[in-house]
Amino acid sequence: MPYLTIALPKGKLFAKSVELLAKVGYSADNVVEDSRKLVITNEVSKVKFIIVKTMDLPTYVEYGAADIGIIGKDVLLEEKKDIYELLDMKYGKCRLMVAVPKAKKRAKLTDYAHLRVATKYPNCASEFFNKAGMQMTIIKLNGSIELAPIVGLSEMIVDIVETGTTLKENNLEEIAVVQPATARLIANKVSFKLQFNRIKKLVEDLQKVMVEENIK
Amino acid sequence: MSENKVLQVPYGTKDLLPGEAGAKRKMEDNLATNFSQWGYAEVQTPTFEYLDTFALGGSGITEESMKFLDRNNRTLVLRSDMTTPLARMVATRMGDEKDIKRLFYIANIFRYEQTQAGRQCEFSQAGVELMGTPEPMADAEVLALAVASLQTAGLDKFKISVGHIGFLAGLMEEVNLTGQEKEKIKQLVLEHNAVDLENYVNTLSIDEKLKGVLGRLLFLQDGQDMLKKLQKNVHNEKSYKALENLLQIFAFAKAYGVSKYLSFDLSLIRNFDYYTGMVFEAYTPDMGFNICGGGRYDTMMSSFGKDCPATGFAMGIDRIILALQREENFSSKADWDVFVAWEAGFAQAAIKKAMELRAKGKKVKIAFSSMNEMEAEQNTLENNCTSLVYIR
Repeated sequence: MPYLTIALPKGKLFAKSVELLAKVGYSADNVVEDSRKLVITNEVSKVKFIIVKTMDLPTYVEYGAADIGIIGKDVLLEEKKDIYELLDMKYGKCRLMVAVPKAKKRAKLTDYAHLRVATKYPNCASEFFNKAGMQMTIIKLNGSIELAPIVGLSEMIVDIVETGTTLKENNLEEIAVVQPATARLIANKVSFKLQFNRIKKLVEDLQKVMVEENIK
Repeated sequence: MSENKVLQVPYGTKDLLPGEAGAKRKMEDNLATNFSQWGYAEVQTPTFEYLDTFALGGSGITEESMKFLDRNNRTLVLRSDMTTPLARMVATRMGDEKDIKRLFYIANIFRYEQTQAGRQCEFSQAGVELMGTPEPMADAEVLALAVASLQTAGLDKFKISVGHIGFLAGLMEEVNLTGQEKEKIKQLVLEHNAVDLENYVNTLSIDEKLKGVLGRLLFLQDGQDMLKKLQKNVHNEKSYKALENLLQIFAFAKAYGVSKYLSFDLSLIRNFDYYTGMVFEAYTPDMGFNICGGGRYDTMMSSFGKDCPATGFAMGIDRIILALQREENFSSKADWDVFVAWEAGFAQAAIKKAMELRAKGKKVKIAFSSMNEMEAEQNTLENNCTSLVYIR
């Protein structure tokens, strides 16, 4: 049997992903987020784990460097890779949204046309504003998006929020939802065909565990 | 800036150095020989054509096509696949002939796309088109030839997924979906998005049983037993006939001895609008992209004024080379048989000897200056020659 290589994302989806995969028999010693080992192998169940940065994960899977992976829908929408999206794992609920400083709130979305938007998700942001008929200046940042409007780099932001605490702390207010997102199980196009039975069973087992654990 | 550009090649293009180019040529020669053994004749078409040709053929004009203008401001496009030009050629130049045509090509294709593993913006394809027959036996021949060609190229660990355009089309007609709904489903299937597909199908007001089939389409992968089972569950003629067609093709594929490479995937519809029947793709481990793809396109030729059923495939030479390299099964080292060196005063004799050896079919390099025997031996190695002939 060939190895099944699973890509896991660093960050908030990591712990739950490891836990659920272990419940369906996909585990290895020391699958931890700050693992020194780059590839963690379970010789018995023929599984390899790699732990990668979230934005890179779809690329690993698209090229077949990993057979399957777990990643947020927000990243999939941004990266638009040619991969199989097999299962909505329902956890890691968050939403990609538009926020502005409270003091500078305007009446409706289109009132913000032609302003600057700071975001880690330039493709999603462009698509969203294009659909709304708005032309914006998109500024791509790699983190601390909330900082941008405070220091005058942009007037608004497009970012991921779970609870909205960070927004509040920085006096930002959500004005529109771009897209809700949850964790997804994805697979490489070729791996899904060459290891179809194994991956299909994994999907079914995960569905069962989700029902048992009442993840909705 | 201009100085930098001089030293670079454009995005998505690459040079093939000595050795690489030779190894590729050798593979192409082997493939050409193999295609001939199956009765296929080589053809060539122009590197660029009118944009209208591609638009008419249904391969779709997208952002991917590399377009430019001719002197009269007509839009030209570098060929973005070979099936459309071949259909155009046969319909316009060989249209009167009623016989079955078996054609093959080895050609460079151009698509402005993000470069992927083994695919640049300019890449090399070898392929066949079998025109003039709708018979399942013809589709089986094309499948068997694809297997033989991949083997000829040196691959042995590969698998072919076979699908049929008619299966999904029939299902969508059966439940009377609107054009827009059909388009949405096709899009989700092409994007391999099982999550949104199931969610979307669940919002449609259609038969529950069919929801199960349509919504889980991406998981409909298995052997021929799956086809027989599905035949009992579908109630429209088109889907039923598609399954029947696949079973017939499979029976012939068995006779060809290639059935062990095949499995069925009813979500396989391929990213070209011109397909009408059986479609397939080939995969190999350690390569995240398909290495070969094709299928039946019975209506494309009528766009060019000639009704003619047709089927065929293309394989990506560069991807296959990459796959072989990963299996460490591909040597791109250039080598020669003989190095002819000579003692001072024997240059003429050396030339004569070299010509004699070449006439015998040897690959020969000759020295341009005299050298002693020890230097000659050293030079033989440095020139990648297997043996030395020293003239004195």
